Amino acid sequence: MLLPEHDFIKPRSLAEGLAVLRDAPPGVRLLGGGTDVVFNMRCRLMTPDTVLSLKDLPELQGVAVLPDGSLRLGAASRLTDLIANPVLRERYPALVKAFRAVASRHVRNLATLGGNLCLDTRCWFTNQTKEWRDTKGPCLKTGTDACHAIQGSPICVALNNADSPPALIALGATAKLTSSRGERTVALDDFYREDGIRHTVLEPDEILTAVTVPPATGRQVFLKETARQGMDFSYGAIALVADGQGTSTSRVRVVLGSLTTSPRVLSAAAERLVALGLGDDGIEAACATLRDTLGPLTNLYSPAAYKRELARTLLRKAVLALREMPA
Amino acid sequence: MKKGLITLVVNGDAHEVAVSSQHTLLDVLRGKLKLMGTKEGCTTGSCGVCTVHNGRGEAVLSCLTPALEWDCQAITTIEGLEQGGRLAPIQQAFIDYHAVQCGFCTPGVIMSAQAVLNLTPSPSEDDISDGLAGVICRCTGHIKVKEAIRHVGEYCSDGKA
Amino acid sequence: MAAKPEDSKPVDSNDGLSVIGRRQPRLDGFEKVSGRSVFTDDIVLPGMLHGRILRSPHARARIVSIDTSRALALPGVKAVISNADAPDLLFSDKQPLLAKGFVHYAGEEVAAVAATDALIAEAALDLIDVEYEVLPAVTSLRKAMQPDAPQLHEWAAGNVALTHEKDFGDPDGAFAASDLVVTDDFRSPVQHNTLAELHVALADFTNPDKLHMWTPTQGAPMYQMALAKAFGLETSQVRIVYGNVGGAFTGRGRAKPHHFIAALLSRQAGKPVKIKATGDEEFIMFRGSGETQYRFRTGVSRDGKIRALEADVTFDAGAHAEWAMILWLPAPYLNWLYKVDAVRYKGRFIYTNTVPKGSHHGGIFGRLSAGWMQHLNHVAEQLGMDPAEFHRINAIDPGHHALDGSDFASCGLKECIDKVVERSRWKDKYGKLPPWRGIGIDIGAQASGGKNAANDTSAAMLKVADDGIVTLYTGIPDMGQGSHTVMGMIAAEVLGIEPEDIRIVGGDSDITPFDWGAFSQRGTFTTGNAVKAAAEDARGQLAEIIAGLLGTAPGNLQFAHRRVWVQGEAPEAPGRSFSFREAIGKAFNGVEGRSIMGRGFFNSPRQSGSLAYSFGAQVAEVEVDPESGAVKVLKVTAAHDLGRALNPLAVEGQLDGQVFSGMSQVLYEECRMDGGQILNPSRLEYKLPRTYELPEVEYILVETIDPYGPFGAKEVGEGPIVVTMAAVANAVANAVGEMLPQIPMTPWRLLRVIRYRKRRAATGTGAGPQVSLTST
Repeated sequence: MLLPEHDFIKPRSLAEGLAVLRDAPPGVRLLGGGTDVVFNMRCRLMTPDTVLSLKDLPELQGVAVLPDGSLRLGAASRLTDLIANPVLRERYPALVKAFRAVASRHVRNLATLGGNLCLDTRCWFTNQTKEWRDTKGPCLKTGTDACHAIQGSPICVALNNADSPPALIALGATAKLTSSRGERTVALDDFYREDGIRHTVLEPDEILTAVTVPPATGRQVFLKETARQGMDFSYGAIALVADGQGTSTSRVRVVLGSLTTSPRVLSAAAERLVALGLGDDGIEAACATLRDTLGPLTNLYSPAAYKRELARTLLRKAVLALREMPA
Repeated sequence: MKKGLITLVVNGDAHEVAVSSQHTLLDVLRGKLKLMGTKEGCTTGSCGVCTVHNGRGEAVLSCLTPALEWDCQAITTIEGLEQGGRLAPIQQAFIDYHAVQCGFCTPGVIMSAQAVLNLTPSPSEDDISDGLAGVICRCTGHIKVKEAIRHVGEYCSDGKA
Repeated sequence: MAAKPEDSKPVDSNDGLSVIGRRQPRLDGFEKVSGRSVFTDDIVLPGMLHGRILRSPHARARIVSIDTSRALALPGVKAVISNADAPDLLFSDKQPLLAKGFVHYAGEEVAAVAATDALIAEAALDLIDVEYEVLPAVTSLRKAMQPDAPQLHEWAAGNVALTHEKDFGDPDGAFAASDLVVTDDFRSPVQHNTLAELHVALADFTNPDKLHMWTPTQGAPMYQMALAKAFGLETSQVRIVYGNVGGAFTGRGRAKPHHFIAALLSRQAGKPVKIKATGDEEFIMFRGSGETQYRFRTGVSRDGKIRALEADVTFDAGAHAEWAMILWLPAPYLNWLYKVDAVRYKGRFIYTNTVPKGSHHGGIFGRLSAGWMQHLNHVAEQLGMDPAEFHRINAIDPGHHALDGSDFASCGLKECIDKVVERSRWKDKYGKLPPWRGIGIDIGAQASGGKNAANDTSAAMLKVADDGIVTLYTGIPDMGQGSHTVMGMIAAEVLGIEPEDIRIVGGDSDITPFDWGAFSQRGTFTTGNAVKAAAEDARGQLAEIIAGLLGTAPGNLQFAHRRVWVQGEAPEAPGRSFSFREAIGKAFNGVEGRSIMGRGFFNSPRQSGSLAYSFGAQVAEVEVDPESGAVKVLKVTAAHDLGRALNPLAVEGQLDGQVFSGMSQVLYEECRMDGGQILNPSRLEYKLPRTYELPEVEYILVETIDPYGPFGAKEVGEGPIVVTMAAVANAVANAVGEMLPQIPMTPWRLLRVIRYRKRRAATGTGAGPQVSLTST
């Protein structure tokens, strides 16, 4: 099946790309490595009038250490190149692990950081061919007020299934969003919206140009649970960053991915871990907060009851792994 | 552009091809250049039978990338692995180790295996598993595929000769 | 010439064999590794059109109207067909090719188009206007068997399509005489064959007297016969071309609707038409396993002897009962492993509003075994016996005559059990592993071909060129299993030449002699015997001429290492021996001008069933993560009695693939159904393990040298997977301490079993784990 007809534009500079977006024409789709967008175009889930390829924009490339010790990752950096980057490997092992958890080498050789961060949300009633979708009828995302995943849901509850956001959010990363109007920086945590359709705050005329990761302090863990180790979306993923050593810590950031419509920062769990430490009591107290934090879960790809149990398991395993690490 | 002429350097030969935005790289390789060694499988990036190499010798999925992205780029397909009319060591090893059964995925699996060797001439078990996780070989369970790669990794120092 | 089983003398060792038993690389390896192998989708015929099929979006509906006029008007569209164009064309007995009046499942073929390119064909589908009146549907076994369930077909009260019940011996008496009777339930899901090469058919029916069809198949005759019947042709007017077949796994046994539709479109448009399934269509149109429910009951005496075996199996047939064979097969199978007093089988096919079902890799035996062998190990544990010992004391011996009439001339079942027990160090591990580690053992059998129809014939021909190169014509498809290579080895062994001297011509029903094909594990056994007979025929012709020249009897000649000589003399004796090529030259350039051509065929002399059965035993070891429910298969030790390993390299490949597919079906594979629709119709979401998940496999080849097999060989094509599935299931059950009530054992199902187990341990009571009837 060929791709739907569209105008393919490959700007030579960021300015050129932003100019295309200036009037924010509807129907423009930004393309990184294409591994998600091309798939969705093939399924006619995305039928853009224009595809704007960002892959080779010079302004979006590379990894740079900034004067304050933080790291700037160009949004068009390929995951493969980020994984191979010596600075990342040394300072952000959990991040490298998260990048490496994405799909397969084949995909990561094309896929970009920006593409993974903007990965469209997924639902097995929606991410199907048009013929398949026609049998169920359209949904919130494809043009009605029906949700096949949770009947009566006012918002699209498709899952944010990307592996890198939890790790980057836990590390306190920020995203730089650029438009012809200017440039703004948002905490990556605030980049995501609780809506499977407009799942990020990116405006139609904006491009995600870079991600900045603050200097790494403390211990970091990334875990992904999936049906198989290679080439799979997560059933659930977790990233945990904490200072201190052994069971003591004064600062914890923990983020769950793939279970909900946006990556979920577990603030209440983090508070308990700081208060009670990373011992078994702390773990138990942290797990007890999950029910409220997670809210209702879907049966998409795995049953809700399993997702709930998986969240606890991931949290427990992440803390156990972390407290074994040297300070 | 909706349609345009691009230059693809495939297996060392430059081809000027008229493509549309509707074509993926796979569509051009098979449909326009008639390089039928690269197979069309799921077309959604999951099965890996369409694997080719980019200019750096890395495995990429030709079904998931728009053809227009590849203007003036070098690509290697299964047809380009032979050297001087002789099979590449990895191809020979696939025969010797019975890493081929039905053969439909074989071009994609071999391109994936060669990409592993290009990156890590003496690959670890994890390099092999990671490098091959993107392709499904339904017949062999990848067991003899791994043996073939190990063999080339051990006995051919640069994985190529 | 016809090979008679009694002519095939057992060969006691590899002595005297120069090619058989060798680790022979594939003869088509060069083509396959270099990208030169041509598969159906690689073929582009002049003027070829692209076909697409419009499928029903509803599980059950009345078709109010179909209007194809807008599609037909689209430039580039060359044909649009619906039932109105072929109202009498039947796909199976009661099933129109294109839906007539009603649709009975989501995905049913309603109309089709052929256009000059794929995009136009796709656009044309949108222009076919079909009005449906949606009707209540039954989309699962549970719904179909409810008393007030809507009835799919007027001829099937209660949605029961077929039943098959069979008693062997006196089951009621044997159960009554048992000291212990154990009953267990089990379920297996909807599963898809996930062939590497997606379903594809290229039809050229532009000459109404001849239908040419390029398509991957497990056997041309069934396709020829079905297409000929549908289109009012003689069988020979249908030509099937199947050069390379990208995997089959029980999924290409019969022609599917797209084959007929491609032919119809081609006839209508006057151009060749190719139909290729898209990634999800591959799943929607599939004919894999349906949902199946099992109840096993076994009666044993206190000393562990099995008295009576019973299986009650309910199959989801889908909307049409296309493949009744799987309903009958469990009945004989229950008789093949154990010495028992009585066997009872009850089976039924239930109609549901889902795609008609066939079978997955391992046939019915694999999934049945995943439950049955757990049940039998459960029986052993109830008796306080080691399951390995339980299987062994009940296992049959060579010469056993089973209650179903099967005879087992060769049988290495006990040797398989002994070897896997020893090599896996079963006795050091069973019951002694750390928590959440598990080990499982089981046994299985498989027939090597056999009659279910009028005959089970394979035929073969070969010609020898004057340069000594042999061309072997065989209809057996090579869908990866290596059949062509092993046929070359058999011919080479008989003629005393090398496999590389054999050119295989196959995959074209116009050229190759009759062969039912590669299913029911008949390739090596049946076609192998036919090829052996053809080669012996050719060798006999050559021997007669050479013997005349050397003044000896033909029977005194030796053929090996590309030479012909007199037995007892030196193979290189000057003037008293020839190279094979010289010998052929003598025949060809002699007065008679004889061009050597051999022919042979083979058919089981039995009225029904098989001449030979393979046996196997396997031990699987697993590790379960009790927190995540994930299972890691660590090692599979597989012993298989295959008669003789003709090509050990290919045998290992067969074992690898079956271990992979077996663990895949038990732990991963499932079409997750929702109202008759597959929620995961993709190779991403229909889970198959990949490189990281594969266990270590240890092979143990048990050679019992079957008196009827070619050089003593039996099947190895599907016997092992039957055993793997149960070994993995038993190992997981052993790790968690509970039978698995269903497969695949996904993390959430396993967590449910573990939770139940913990609850029971805490309270000391509780019913068995709830078998979930939903797809999750």
